[in-house]
Amino acid sequence: MERRLFLRCLGCGAAVTAAANTDLLPDVVGGVQNACAFDFTKKLSEVEARYYKKLENGGVECELCPRHCMVTDLERGYCGVRENRGDVYYTLIYGLPCAVNIDPIEKKPLFHFHPGTNAFSLATAGCNCNCKFCQNWDISQLRPEQTDNLDLPPKDIVQLCRARNVPTIAYTYSEPIVFYEYMYDIAEIAHRNSIKSVMITGGYIEKKPLRQLLTQLDAVKVDLKAIREDYYKNIVDGELRPVLEALIEIKKIGVWLELVYLVVPTLNDSDAEFRELAQWIKTNLGTDTPIHFSRFHPQYLLKNLPITPQSTLERAHRICRDEGLEYVYLGNLPGHPAESTYCPGCGNLLIDRRGYRILSNNIKNGTCPDCGKLIPGIF
Amino acid sequence: METSCAHDEKQEKKIENSKKKNFLSIFYPQGRIRIFTYTVKQKSVDSFRGNRCIILSMSQVTIIRKTGASAEKGLSKDDYIVMLNAGLERHLKALSLGNRLRNLLPGRVIGMKTNCLAGKLNSTPIALTEAIGDLLVTEGIDENNLVIWERQSWELEKAGYKLNASSFGRRCFGTDSSIAGYSRDFYNSGKANSLITRIMTDIVDSNINLPVLKDHSIAGLSGGLKNMFGAINNPNKYHADNCNPYAAHVSSLEPIRSKNKLTIIDAVKVQYNMGPGYDSRYLDFYGGLIISSDPVAADRIGLEILEHIRGRHNQPTLEVAGRPVKYLKEAEEIGLGTADPKRIAVDVIQINSNGRVGKGEMF
Repeated sequence: MERRLFLRCLGCGAAVTAAANTDLLPDVVGGVQNACAFDFTKKLSEVEARYYKKLENGGVECELCPRHCMVTDLERGYCGVRENRGDVYYTLIYGLPCAVNIDPIEKKPLFHFHPGTNAFSLATAGCNCNCKFCQNWDISQLRPEQTDNLDLPPKDIVQLCRARNVPTIAYTYSEPIVFYEYMYDIAEIAHRNSIKSVMITGGYIEKKPLRQLLTQLDAVKVDLKAIREDYYKNIVDGELRPVLEALIEIKKIGVWLELVYLVVPTLNDSDAEFRELAQWIKTNLGTDTPIHFSRFHPQYLLKNLPITPQSTLERAHRICRDEGLEYVYLGNLPGHPAESTYCPGCGNLLIDRRGYRILSNNIKNGTCPDCGKLIPGIF
Repeated sequence: METSCAHDEKQEKKIENSKKKNFLSIFYPQGRIRIFTYTVKQKSVDSFRGNRCIILSMSQVTIIRKTGASAEKGLSKDDYIVMLNAGLERHLKALSLGNRLRNLLPGRVIGMKTNCLAGKLNSTPIALTEAIGDLLVTEGIDENNLVIWERQSWELEKAGYKLNASSFGRRCFGTDSSIAGYSRDFYNSGKANSLITRIMTDIVDSNINLPVLKDHSIAGLSGGLKNMFGAINNPNKYHADNCNPYAAHVSSLEPIRSKNKLTIIDAVKVQYNMGPGYDSRYLDFYGGLIISSDPVAADRIGLEILEHIRGRHNQPTLEVAGRPVKYLKEAEEIGLGTADPKRIAVDVIQINSNGRVGKGEMF
């Protein structure tokens, strides 16, 4: 809240929530803001949602995510950002991001997608899950009237990217699936302007909207939160099966995919789980799918657990490498060698990283300069 | 019945201490430093579960019915004053609290939680809040210390209320008002983890819950417990499985549990189907108020009335309709009140068109 006030005092209209990184604050203040003047708005949008059906006896059924909320008049779905008004289902957050920032693409993290470039990152309020460890709960678990929202229609986002020479737009921080229509429209306009779009998601989405969305996306990073259904039930308040199906679908369609697995001490950090995860990825997505094991920090409703020990992350790394996964990274461990990309063929250091910074990138035309092995990704 | 919970004080203190921890967390990547000071307000629902002192007692519910009014017209403030006077006098006597409403509502500032989701046609009537306000003022409560509230200010406006967030007169505002907002800390009770409106945590000392008796397409019953979804930041997360156990656990969040002193369910017009929105096709006139200091018992009797009206209109029971009201049992389990009708004493008062008070019938 203090930061928001600070930004307002500076005359900056761009809302940067407490969840967003401060690294590029000067960029936001000096760059984005100069490009266009924004206004905060208290109004909610009333744009008809795209995936829902009207029920025979009144009410609507949302068909966007596997939750399939049945929503009666004046009620909202689980995400808190879609409302039934007279049996027409509306998205209330179209064009109303509550978090806007310019981040390095490595922060998403996407390590095999234009390394060293920036992404115009945005989010609205709302989420279709309720992860007890959520780092961005102060936007994801709130309703849009509880956040400070900007009035930023899709074309303005693209205009900002062009003005700042930002090559990619990232839909991130909260859960972009809940602002599907807004994301889709931005991505469509962005593509026409040669700007790429990446989605950072939990992957809890129905296949039909996912397939449609993938026509507009260039990369997807999915938070695979665990490989056990009970974890999804108890910690995420979601389901694992639809997420796994979405991953297979993304791979099948051929959109670039990376995974993140947040390692939460005592909850999803056993050897058996890491092995099961590696085997599932190997079988269903291929050994060349990058996976990032990320360090947990106590947040939101999981304040009682400690930070993930480095040794646990290294154990996950070792097990996945042993199982044959080729690109295994460790996240939230700045300076660790496992932040960098190595050639699975000859072991050469290809991309040297420190935190979100690229110290060197030796990939030539998407291949290892030494052994010529093709490195998967978009470089 | 006044529910006093004899829980182990030592154990409760232990839980409180273990949960009330301040963390200083430094999140260091990229030179970013974030400092969190965090307090979890938690009282395990299990510490109340199966509390025998509640199980063994009878709960008191008073129904006051008024004849001579029509569903379309609704009741006037004067009607409500007559009903409340008769109902509260009987109810408070039964509670052995004397005949003064003030005894039931400790503290300086009294809140009135309305239910204004359905707009002007089926929300907590202004006449009812005005009538209660007048009674409280005659009981010695300062007019400036009455707060009529809802989740959002526009919901109040839509229902015809005039907003007043100043320091004078009966105040009326939503949690979204600049003087309210949500708590900084999460409150936890069983499966409910929520920020709570500051109206409940900081502003009011006691609260009167003023729901409208309605069918609810998911929960089955929209009554007092369900109305407290309007006091938290994330009600959308709590609609799975017919709102069970969420409706019970939300009402068990500590500031809500201890500050909700009285439930008065407006059952004058009852939306017996297609609720909680307004649908004139499924509206019937019952002409009653359901009063109880036991929120679960009030809901339980409200449910019986709702089911009876549904039956009269050839609607299936809520269970058959796929929305059984499961959360009342859970509410009883965690000691929030009485859900078993055998342990609820119902007193029905009838007020005829001449204002004469007599014994009435529930149906």
